[in-house]
Amino acid sequence: MRKIVLFAILWLSISCVNAGEIVVGVLGPMDVPEGYSQLKAVQLAAEEINAAGGILGNKIKVVYGDDKLKPDVGASEFRRLAEIEKAKVIIGGFSSGVMLATMEVMAETKTLFLADSSTPQASAKVAENYEKYKYWFRLQNNATTFAYDTEDMIRYLISKGYEVKKVYIIKDEHIWTEDVTKALYPILEKLGVQVVKDVKIPRGYSEFEKLIIEAEKLDADLIIPILALTGTDDVLVKQWATLKPKILLAGHTITAIDADFYERTNGAANYLIFSAHGGVVVTSPPTQMCKHFIEAYRSKYGKYPEAHQAYGAYDALYLYKTAVENAFKAGEKDPFDPEVVVKYLEMFNESNPIELTRKIAFTSNHDLAWGDKYVKNWVSQWQDGKQYILYPEKMATAELKLPPWFKEEKKTPGFELLLAMIAIVAVALRLRG
Amino acid sequence: MSAVASLVIYGAVIGGIWALVAAGFSLIFGVMRVLNFGHGAIFISAAYATVAFAAFGMHIAFVGSLLIGLAVGLIIYFLIKPVRKKEITAVIVTLAFALLVQHLLLLIFGNRGLTVQPVVDGLFEVFGAKFAAIRVVTLIAAILVLLALETVMRTSFGKQITAVSEDSDAAMLLGIDVERVYLLVILISSLLAAIAGYFYVQVFSVNPELGLKVLIYAFAIVILGGLGSIKGSVISSFILGYIIAATILFLSPRWSELVMLLAIVLTLIIRPYGIFGVKE
Amino acid sequence: MKLAFIYFLTGLLAYFILPEAYLYTVGFAMLFAALSASWDLTVGYTGQVNLGHTTFVGLGAYIFAVLLAGRLGFEFNIYVAFLAAILVSASLGAAFGAIALRLRGYYFALITAILPLVFMQTVFIFSEVFGGEEGFSIGLERGVTPEWRYLFALLVSFAVLSILLLIVRSRFGVRFMAIRDNEELAEAIGIDTTKYKVLSFTISSAMAGFVGAAIVLYRITVSPDLYSVDLMLMIILASVVGGIGTIYGPFFFGLLVYLLKVFVVREFLLSFGLRMSDEIILYAILIIAAIMMPNGIAAMFKRHIKRID
Repeated sequence: MRKIVLFAILWLSISCVNAGEIVVGVLGPMDVPEGYSQLKAVQLAAEEINAAGGILGNKIKVVYGDDKLKPDVGASEFRRLAEIEKAKVIIGGFSSGVMLATMEVMAETKTLFLADSSTPQASAKVAENYEKYKYWFRLQNNATTFAYDTEDMIRYLISKGYEVKKVYIIKDEHIWTEDVTKALYPILEKLGVQVVKDVKIPRGYSEFEKLIIEAEKLDADLIIPILALTGTDDVLVKQWATLKPKILLAGHTITAIDADFYERTNGAANYLIFSAHGGVVVTSPPTQMCKHFIEAYRSKYGKYPEAHQAYGAYDALYLYKTAVENAFKAGEKDPFDPEVVVKYLEMFNESNPIELTRKIAFTSNHDLAWGDKYVKNWVSQWQDGKQYILYPEKMATAELKLPPWFKEEKKTPGFELLLAMIAIVAVALRLRG
Repeated sequence: MSAVASLVIYGAVIGGIWALVAAGFSLIFGVMRVLNFGHGAIFISAAYATVAFAAFGMHIAFVGSLLIGLAVGLIIYFLIKPVRKKEITAVIVTLAFALLVQHLLLLIFGNRGLTVQPVVDGLFEVFGAKFAAIRVVTLIAAILVLLALETVMRTSFGKQITAVSEDSDAAMLLGIDVERVYLLVILISSLLAAIAGYFYVQVFSVNPELGLKVLIYAFAIVILGGLGSIKGSVISSFILGYIIAATILFLSPRWSELVMLLAIVLTLIIRPYGIFGVKE
Repeated sequence: MKLAFIYFLTGLLAYFILPEAYLYTVGFAMLFAALSASWDLTVGYTGQVNLGHTTFVGLGAYIFAVLLAGRLGFEFNIYVAFLAAILVSASLGAAFGAIALRLRGYYFALITAILPLVFMQTVFIFSEVFGGEEGFSIGLERGVTPEWRYLFALLVSFAVLSILLLIVRSRFGVRFMAIRDNEELAEAIGIDTTKYKVLSFTISSAMAGFVGAAIVLYRITVSPDLYSVDLMLMIILASVVGGIGTIYGPFFFGLLVYLLKVFVVREFLLSFGLRMSDEIILYAILIIAAIMMPNGIAAMFKRHIKRID
């Protein structure tokens, strides 16, 4: 016990805060791209801002906490960043479970939290108890907006002459997918689209072939995946490309947004239609700053941003800087006081968005505003190893491409091979006897 | 008809892959009385090796995955050698090793799923049921490997294995090099798991969490089939494969894991020593 | 028992010395220490390899949280919720133990390894009640107030430690150890081995449920990580390095391992410029410790511990 006390005292003396320095904390699972890409993005932003003189003359120091995707570790790390490292603002968080646990610590320590994570539960808390949770702002779209993205997607497909009458939904058993389908069903009804089946799958599920075949039997025109946490959306894409059904695969497959998804699936992702959650695909940045960010990230780290969370994290630091500077200009006594910064962040509302890598505006619940003028999950498609935006028109970089197997008559490769293999087994059995 | 045909194929393919893993797990336990919690690590390392070597062609990848599988098996052999007599410690060491491998793979390959182009492309259509050709190839390969294992068990070396598993002290008195048998048993089991990994990544994909999942399937199978019985493991692999396939087909995919686990608990209550297990 | 009191007093002293953010983590470490000590009662004293301790941690936590937060439509009093968490964990432990403990050690290990996964599945399938993958929050106002939080953890861990020590030093403890050392002999001298194995498993499970509920009260949220294999491995790591069958070993090493994991290992790795998960180091330590020192570090100090105590 004494050792621990000694150690803690030692620790404290090291981590004294220097004057003229603003500490920014990054919290995330640092073993996976969702976490470390955020850290790298914030470090990049901090370097840029420091080179230009910092925030009101204060240099930014980036510290980070690794939540390991565990709520208790996340809560501890958040507290450490806030109270020991004296972080003025914490950026990051990923995974709803960790987010819920850290939000409680945030409420208690009254620390500004510019967060990732799409769970509807989080902004619901702000609505429920504003005073307590007002320090939280989200830089990703609320997951429920995915229903509206799907509407865009279907309308777009119909406008391009692809008939959508029946859809087959595959969603993970995560709670937010329920919120999505709740909003999606009336939309589909309005569009005159019938849901032939709505299947829930568990984490790590890999037998998609059966579901695709069932969709084919039920005469579906579209398979809509709503997948974020299964970790196996690549298997769905692969099995779809193997079975080659005359059904488009279009929906929310979260890892399809990654720049290396095509390579990872060995090209099976070709012709997959997905909604670019986070509002950016690397090949077509929506703003000037986004273009700069992608290139700067690549030249610093040798890779494109590994996960879409990076854009939110990069935006977060610039957003914080702007809000603090605005507060200073308005003559606030302590422009770094979280109570003050919250007010100035809230000024970026739907009628006053700020253009960063995306156009950021907050709703009254501190959710990110969704829409063409703000951040939207563009309808995108993988075509021959590249991501293209299909819709909205003014963003579009390519036309819809249907998979080549939609035209060809399907050939069923021979019984011969099957027979040959059965023969091998028979011979083996004979040899054994 | 097509529902029956697809059930037959899907169940058999899942069963075939798990049979390769579970047979090795069972063999190691039967001979060495060690629960090898690191068995999933062999499987998953071989699967990742397949991905890593796929660029050189699938034949090279096959050899590569087998070699990596054998290497991991060898590490496990040396890890459990000093603690073989202590059941708790052996479990802890192999389980820790499994998680160590999982985190190393996470570090090297990242957390996203990876996959390769299967050796055989295309589809089969039998009685109106469609399935990827690679599934059939996998099933046939699994059957051939299991038959080969059975053949090995009938040779004089196989008899040595049986002797050691029945009574290692007596086997030693008979002049059998028990240590050599232990080593070869681990290598054979590693080979089986590596082959399973090589085919699994072609049908599905591989991610770091898969190692534990495979291990859990292996547990379920040996509990169902009876510890140490290879025949029991193989048969219960197929039973389990059909349970999973039928649940997905007739009930709902989300129930598949729970139904499998409940089947295990149920077996446990009715026949605590498994279907083919013998009360010791 | 002296050591337990020393622990309590040191913990109290730390309350006045350490800053709040450290206390928060130390509190977590204390609750974790209580978990690994309660695991020891089955593994270290009756020699049954229980790999499913987190089943009862998670179960206690979820029962408690569901009742307290009124997820079944009616909010229960905190004491009722605590009692329910303990009772449910204990009865499941008893029922499960009665079936599984008749089996050989290997079977028991395998089956307990599967058990938490069954319960984890229920969280996903009945997600309306249990909150699914993300879990749910019981609400800040229902948790322990920040000033009391650390003391609450200290008290819980002290209570668990004391009860465990009292049990292993009673006539029950002697019988447990007799079973561990030689089951046939124990049976021969008239000990109903199954009964005592089930008893120790039940107590250990009840305590896991109790600590699980305490963790919820401490961190406000509940989620499936409480059922996870990682948590189980941490418990095993602490107990094996600390020395199973000593209660003190798993307890104090639980405390130490948790703090080391949070405070030291990562910094150590960073100082070498390694961006590497600290789990890799921990598992490597576990493997080496299990092979080199099968009896744990506590065994080396056993005589000293006895003298102080």
